[in-house]
Amino acid sequence: MTAGSRTRSAAPGLRRVWNDRPRLYSRPLWLLVIALDFLPWPWGEDLLARLFWIVGLLRASRRRPAVAWAAARGARPSRRLALAVCAFRGRWVARSMLVGVRHPADLGARVVVRGEELLAASAPRGRILLGFHLGPPNADVALRIRGHSLAFLGTVRRSRAWARPEWSPLLDPRDHLSPPDADTRLFWVGYLYRARRMLLEGRTIFIMADSWVGRERALFVVSVPGGAMTVRSGWLALSRQTGAEVVPVTTHLEGRAQIITICSPLPQPGADADEHVRAVRGILSRRVEDYVERFPEQCPALVFPPETIPGPERQAPGAAAVV
Amino acid sequence: MTDALVVDRVLGVVTRVAGPARTPPGAGPDTPLGDDGFWLDSVDLVEVVVACELEFSISFEGETDITREALATSRTLADLISSKSAR
Repeated sequence: MTAGSRTRSAAPGLRRVWNDRPRLYSRPLWLLVIALDFLPWPWGEDLLARLFWIVGLLRASRRRPAVAWAAARGARPSRRLALAVCAFRGRWVARSMLVGVRHPADLGARVVVRGEELLAASAPRGRILLGFHLGPPNADVALRIRGHSLAFLGTVRRSRAWARPEWSPLLDPRDHLSPPDADTRLFWVGYLYRARRMLLEGRTIFIMADSWVGRERALFVVSVPGGAMTVRSGWLALSRQTGAEVVPVTTHLEGRAQIITICSPLPQPGADADEHVRAVRGILSRRVEDYVERFPEQCPALVFPPETIPGPERQAPGAAAVV
Repeated sequence: MTDALVVDRVLGVVTRVAGPARTPPGAGPDTPLGDDGFWLDSVDLVEVVVACELEFSISFEGETDITREALATSRTLADLISSKSAR
C-alpha cells in the first residue's frame, strides 16, 4: 500500500490520549510528544532528539551519568558522546511513541532485517525472540509489519499514534501481552502463563531479556564500563518449560534506517542447568559488550535506567544470589 | 467451601516448588505465596499453576483465572481449583 492510496484516519481524541499517559513520562514530555505527532516524520523525532541534547547540555543531573558513560568508553572529548546519548534518548522516546509515523507500512519501509532466514526455519516447540533495551524500540513491531507472526510480551504502548486505527491490529490483546501500568508482579504471572501456552502451540513470542515490566528474579548482570544490564529469568524459564528455541535479536539505527539483526539461537537447556546459564551468560554478555562497543550512543537505557524499572524482588532469607 | 483435601494438595504443590529454603516454619493454607510468605516470584508462580493443572487435571484461563487474588495463598488457589472442577 502506498502513502497516497491510504485514507486519512480519524484522529484519536486528544483528551483520551492525554489521559493515557504512561507513568514513565512526565506531563510536560507527554504534552510535547502529542504536539510533535502533528508534524510529519521525522521532524518531531528530530526535534525531540535536539531537545534532549539541549537538556543534557543544561542539566547537570542528566549530563553527569552521560559524561561518565562516555568517559568509560575513553571518548575524547567525552561531552560529544555524552550529548549523543542524551539525544538518542529523545529519539528513543519519539520512536516508541511512533511520533509522526502515520502508518505501519511507513515504519516497515525504513527497516532492514539481517539474518531473517533464521526465522524461516520451523520451530515446532515455539520460538522466543529475545530483545534488549539497546538501540531503537519496536523491533517486534517492525518484524510483525514484515509479516512475521509473533506475540509481544512487554510494556504497554500508548500514544496519539498508537491510538490510530491503522495500528490497532498490532495491539490486539490476543498477541500483545502488555500489563497495564498499575500491574503488580502477581498479575504478570498471567501474562507469562499465556506466553507459555502460545509457545506450547508452536507460536513465537518476543520478550525483552532485561524486562522493565516483569518482576521475576534476576538471572545475571552484564556489567560494562559505566553501566550494567540486569537479565531476568522469565524468558529462560519459559524456554525450559516448553522447549522453545531462544533467538537473540538486536537492533540499531544506521542513519534513518532501523537495522534488526537476528542472531543464532542460544544452546538448548541440557541436564546441567547451571552450566547452561553460564553458557547463555557468556553468549549474551559478548553480544551486549559488542553492541556497546559499536553503538555507545545508542545505549541510553544503560546510562539512564528508567525510574519505573522494578528493582530486584525482595529475596527470601537464604535465597540464591544472582548468578 | 473448598475441600480440605484440595487445600492440602495445593499446599503440597506450593511447598514442593518453594523448596525447604523458602518454606517458612509453620506454613499453612493462608501463608502468602509471595513476599513475607513462600517468596515465590512470577516464574515460580507459573510453575505452581502448571503443577496444579497436572495435579487436578484442569486447565486455567490465562486471561481470567490467573489473578493476584487467586494466587494470594494456597487456600485462594484451592478455591479457584474447586470452582473450576465443579463446572
